[in-house]
Amino acid sequence: MIQFTHVFKRYPGGFDALRNVNLQIQAGEMVFITGHSGAGKSTLLKLITAIERPTRGDAVVNGKNLLRLPRRRIPYFRREIGVVFQDHKLLFDRTVFDNVALPLIVTGADPHDIPRRVRAALEMVGLLSKEKMYPITLSGGEQQRVGIARAVVNKPPLLLADEPTGNIDSKLSDEILDLFLDFHHHGVTVLIATHDGHLINRARQRVIELKQAELVSDSGAAA
Amino acid sequence: MIKNYFLRHAQVFFYTLGQLTRTPVATFLTVAVIGITLALPAGLYVAIENVQRLARGWEDNGQISLFLKQDVPGSSIEKLAEKIRRLPAVSWVDYVSRDAALAEFKRLSGFGEALNALDRNPLPALLVVHPAAAYSHPDKLQTLLKDLRRYNEVDLAQLDLDWVRRLHAMLELARQGVLILAAGLAVAVLLIVGNTIRLAVLNRRDEIEITKLIGGTNAFIRRPFLYAGTLQGLLGALLAWLLLALGLLLLSGPVDNLAGLYGSRFEAENLGFLATLTLIGSGGLLGWLGSRLAVGRHLRAIEPR
Repeated sequence: MIQFTHVFKRYPGGFDALRNVNLQIQAGEMVFITGHSGAGKSTLLKLITAIERPTRGDAVVNGKNLLRLPRRRIPYFRREIGVVFQDHKLLFDRTVFDNVALPLIVTGADPHDIPRRVRAALEMVGLLSKEKMYPITLSGGEQQRVGIARAVVNKPPLLLADEPTGNIDSKLSDEILDLFLDFHHHGVTVLIATHDGHLINRARQRVIELKQAELVSDSGAAA
Repeated sequence: MIKNYFLRHAQVFFYTLGQLTRTPVATFLTVAVIGITLALPAGLYVAIENVQRLARGWEDNGQISLFLKQDVPGSSIEKLAEKIRRLPAVSWVDYVSRDAALAEFKRLSGFGEALNALDRNPLPALLVVHPAAAYSHPDKLQTLLKDLRRYNEVDLAQLDLDWVRRLHAMLELARQGVLILAAGLAVAVLLIVGNTIRLAVLNRRDEIEITKLIGGTNAFIRRPFLYAGTLQGLLGALLAWLLLALGLLLLSGPVDNLAGLYGSRFEAENLGFLATLTLIGSGGLLGWLGSRLAVGRHLRAIEPR
């Protein structure tokens, strides 16, 4: 699903965000990326979602070479990836339902299917009763779950999460981890960037550690 | 598939309409500026059209006088008049015989008694040719004049074209002026719409960024802005039309009065059907183009971070 070979990312001014990263993640795997802030976690996620391009090296995600992906193909490439953001990135001028429906509308899904698919995603994260509410009235944990519902409503084969439990207490983070484990058991490739040790210990999955822009340890695929 | 496509466009259309009505003051201001801007050249166009229509009513003055040779007998004159009458460029022909010409001259000149002293009528017979309305253009009149001069019976053919030429030249000048003004104001409309859409794009920066992140194409993101620009352009054109109608309504009293003083039934007319379509169409097109230019430029600047 993800294959990085000697990938470098250097920002203008000479700052190295990633140095010689080699990484291979199979379809259906669940992987945690950990490391201090500034270690390169976010940059790695930005490369995978084609927000940034690698400076050097081979980076293949979902069969597409990121160095050669034409600009106009990027939207279609992103539709295969669900992303959960630390700050949720919800739209506050529309309801929970409309937020979750956005990826379906963007991809031109059949309008008759949209309500059913949105409700299925909301049910998965336990927020079916709040579909008509506005995100601002929800708690941080609930907002994060809306973000997750939006990320999976299109059933993407790859799910990325950037510090998904960054702003919520440990009981809620357990619930959110359970959601990700559930997706993993259903065959979705899940990649979570976090420095939450509790989360990592509880999940018992493959862990990759980044340190000062380099990949320093890889626990290998979980048994 | 096609049905869904139209359904999606309809959704965006109504969504955009909703957005515009949710900010009524801002929308009204934009539409008002566009409306006034479009009303200016359209109003001048209407004025020119009306003057031209009025000028068409004066086409009698574009008549051609054919003075015939003295020795042409009356029967040949009748035949000639009949021939000329059948020309497509001719509306009708009046025949003024030598006797009638003399009688009229006596009446109008005040030389009645003196003329009686002449032993024969010195005046030639006269055919007054009235060109058809479609041939009232100076160039066409000139051609007709040349054709009429070729008849053997004709001694002298006269056409007073100078004033017709001057009027047409003036109208042509005014027309060019309107075109230049319209071009300048079209750019103004582009800038107005462009600026409005630029603000709208910046206001919805977050939404655009998120939409890009979940795989929205540029075309998808552009669509609501293009609809907003086009709608505002169309509404502005509609307003311009209403302003013209209002202006003409306010002028109709004085125009009636003035026309009455000249014994005319002239009434000022608003834009014709085609011109109205052109006005509305240009409004929509300018709105679309303005938003397309603005959105294309600003969309590129908004990339997910």
